[in-house]
Amino acid sequence: MTLSPLFWTYVKVVLLVATVPAIVGFVIVLAERRIMGFMQARLGPNRVGPQGVLQGLADLVKLVTKEDITPAKAEKAVHFLAPVLAVIPALTALAVIPFGPPVRIGKNMIPLWVADINIGLLFLLAITSIGVYGIILGGWSSNNKYSLLGGLRSAAQLVSYEVPMGLALVSVLLMSRSLSLVEIVRRQEATHLWFFFPGMIAFFIYFVAGVAETNRNPFDLPEAESELVSGFNTEYSGVKFAFFFLGEYTAMIIISCVAVTVFFGGWLQPFPHVKALQFLGLVPGAVWFLLKVGGFIFAYIWFRSTFPRYRFDQLMALGWKWLIPISLANILVVAFAILLFPGRTTGLVWLSWAFSGVFVVMYLLAKLRQKLAKRDRLAAVPQTVES
Amino acid sequence: MSDDKISQAEKDEAAYFAERAKAQASAAAAQSPSASGTQDAHTLFDVQEMELNFGPQHPSTHGVLRVVLKVDGEKILEAKPDMGFLHRGTEKLFETETYPMGIPHTDRMDYVAAATSNHAFCIAVETLLQVEVPRRAQLIRVILDELQRLSSHLVWLGTSGIDLGAVTPFWYAFREREQILDFFEEYCGARLTLNCMRIGGLPFDLTPGWTERLAEFIADVPARIDDYEQLLTDNRIWKKRTVGVGVISAEECVEWGLTGPILRASGVEWDLRRARPYECYDELDFVVPTRQGGDTYDRYIVRVQEMRQSVRIVQQCLAKLEPGEIRGKVPRVIKPVAEEVYASIESPKGEIGFYCVSNGTNKPYRMHVRPPSFINLQALPRLAKGHLVSDLVALIGTIDIVLGEVDR
Amino acid sequence: MALKKWLDKLTLLDLFDGLSVTGRHLFKKKVTIEYPEQKKLPSDRFRGMFRLDEERCIKCTLCAIECPINIIYIDWHNEKNEAGKNEKVLDRFDVDLKRCMFCQLCEEACPTVPKSIWLTTKTYEMAAYDRNESLYLDIRKLTDWREAPNVKPFTVVERG
Repeated sequence: MTLSPLFWTYVKVVLLVATVPAIVGFVIVLAERRIMGFMQARLGPNRVGPQGVLQGLADLVKLVTKEDITPAKAEKAVHFLAPVLAVIPALTALAVIPFGPPVRIGKNMIPLWVADINIGLLFLLAITSIGVYGIILGGWSSNNKYSLLGGLRSAAQLVSYEVPMGLALVSVLLMSRSLSLVEIVRRQEATHLWFFFPGMIAFFIYFVAGVAETNRNPFDLPEAESELVSGFNTEYSGVKFAFFFLGEYTAMIIISCVAVTVFFGGWLQPFPHVKALQFLGLVPGAVWFLLKVGGFIFAYIWFRSTFPRYRFDQLMALGWKWLIPISLANILVVAFAILLFPGRTTGLVWLSWAFSGVFVVMYLLAKLRQKLAKRDRLAAVPQTVES
Repeated sequence: MSDDKISQAEKDEAAYFAERAKAQASAAAAQSPSASGTQDAHTLFDVQEMELNFGPQHPSTHGVLRVVLKVDGEKILEAKPDMGFLHRGTEKLFETETYPMGIPHTDRMDYVAAATSNHAFCIAVETLLQVEVPRRAQLIRVILDELQRLSSHLVWLGTSGIDLGAVTPFWYAFREREQILDFFEEYCGARLTLNCMRIGGLPFDLTPGWTERLAEFIADVPARIDDYEQLLTDNRIWKKRTVGVGVISAEECVEWGLTGPILRASGVEWDLRRARPYECYDELDFVVPTRQGGDTYDRYIVRVQEMRQSVRIVQQCLAKLEPGEIRGKVPRVIKPVAEEVYASIESPKGEIGFYCVSNGTNKPYRMHVRPPSFINLQALPRLAKGHLVSDLVALIGTIDIVLGEVDR
Repeated sequence: MALKKWLDKLTLLDLFDGLSVTGRHLFKKKVTIEYPEQKKLPSDRFRGMFRLDEERCIKCTLCAIECPINIIYIDWHNEKNEAGKNEKVLDRFDVDLKRCMFCQLCEEACPTVPKSIWLTTKTYEMAAYDRNESLYLDIRKLTDWREAPNVKPFTVVERG
């Protein structure tokens, strides 16, 4: 019998919607708590299962069996709708992400993505913008002054950081000449150049904007517990809170996946042309993709455990006064590099070397200066007793 | 008769409110921009006061402190601390018990720095009794005080960090503090409510091996402080949150009576250990860290430097330890002469003092505490004016209050 | 100087330093003690649960006088023992554990050698479900609380 051409699409959709929330709940939450614990010189949760693997299940059971409280004068329909609006866009965005090269199943080559839209990046940006609605409606429908303020602040933050994110991706667009994510990976393969190297500044801006987009430390003021104005999700408990939570972590995964696809070669193996490292080709592309995304999630967790948080006005100033001008300048620089050698990638290669060289040199100089300053400081004030 | 009075009072009230409304309207009219002059602009640009309760239950008030805020949007117009939730009648308890029985109560005032509270109490009574504390006891008292200063500053560092979002220095600081508490436990039997000093000296001598292990531990501490500094001191986000927040000048500090790191960060080099040396501080070599700016970042630097200096002091005292008596000659029943004395020492939070009035019996007539946190908390309205609500958390942390001491 | 500061700012040196501190700690030894499988042994002077030795006690009530919170209730009466001399017999020795602050002043005040009331039993696991029954200790429980259902004598489980 012939399978409907959409059969594999249905399978992929079901798989994604079933596994990604499970991975978020079981793997990422546990990984975050344990890795943060390790960075803080303590063990994370390790009692619930062996090494704590069932902690996600315990959290899930707790959230599902909690009483579902809706505030008295809240808009019930909107209160119900807001978490849904926070989750669905994040899950939908998974549709365009290429998880790996096409694999052979039976007689068919099945691509490891649900849909290869030729405006993939634009689709992603648009879909994540819809997620902002969930936050605004969640804050407003709670009938709580402070939730409203928190929700509006969060929405303002999200909207303002979409601009540098988009502009950073524009510079990648110049390099890849296509908005389709699969096409971007193929171009990185063809030019033997991951777009991270010429797009170092773009990557940095994209990742910072991505962290701000998902309301994570150091940009998590709208939802931090120790701030006075509590976040939009104060009045939510139980499954609705679980949905907000799921939406936030799925957005984290989306940002990481896009960063990997656009800057780090997606499913490509590193060093494909180095003879000594040919064995890396044995690892399937999908595994490379997952490893790289895992690295980004680790970076998220690392940021969370290290940095203090920005105050809201400083956060907005950072986005508008620093990231946007730098991303605009970056577009100009990349465009210039491409136009210098039209049709060839030499411009990009030179740009990569220029960025790397300048960055490495400046970093070493800064480190040297730091060492000298420390030596001077120690000489000035007696620090410890000379025995 | 009373009806007349009531109606007169009502008339007065109505007149008062009418007066106020008129004054407000005219002030508002004067304030609104002349450009649009419409009713909408009038309400848009006016100061809209909202009264907010930074309640007694909040993760960042370091205890049960209520701050009544008047805010305009996010800007704080007025911040009034409302304390008293932890009042336990400590000063009255002092009056109903004999002098030695009061020492455990001082532990519970500043529960983060119990040794210094004990110490101040003992010094006050010793001054009345004119008892001399033997040298070994003095050195060990200084070691306990400085360890306590280190421990209290570690708590401050951790909680200050976590209030501003840096979650890891909390754990590192508490890891070090855990070891300090282990030393205390080994010495006097308790980790937090120490009861580690007696009138005339100390309750016990040191256990064997305590000094060696302490020397080993304290030699590691500067490297750990380097870790905390690497995480916070040059961090641009930390600087953005703390530089320029809560600036207070030296004259104002002296006027308000603020002591401790707040005073020293504003430029006044006043440390009771240097200015009015007690125990054996006059023979120890340490620096009193002072900064000129008076903002939160300066207070952070001053406390971190104080931690380093505490390490030096402990090392010097350990080197000077010799066998000897640990308690001076104190009568069995302590009945000081009927006099008054005020004795104060430098606790991690500021100057803690005991004003003791004795009437010749074995119970004090009055034992008043000068708690540094209480006096420093007075500055909160002055510090918070004009800052944003998010800065309030940083400010409460930088004053470094312990509610047990504020309320007693 | 301005150039150097600009250099620091641009290369995000301060942020990388912070990241390196937490990154290093990822591989360092963790200090968690996994209670209750692992426990720390309290020191010898640790002020924990107290015990009374009725034989040694001379009923001088100095501990009750010295207690800052007055939670020790002692009653005794005189009786003639076999030798015909007056001897004090304890009727009641109750300690209100709800309010004890374990300050050890009672132990310090006790004049007998060795002490008749002591706190250095290295026991701190005294949680109970029922407030009044288990927390108000009378003489039977004080002399040997191994029979009390909730007070557990301390056993060290080695750190793994």
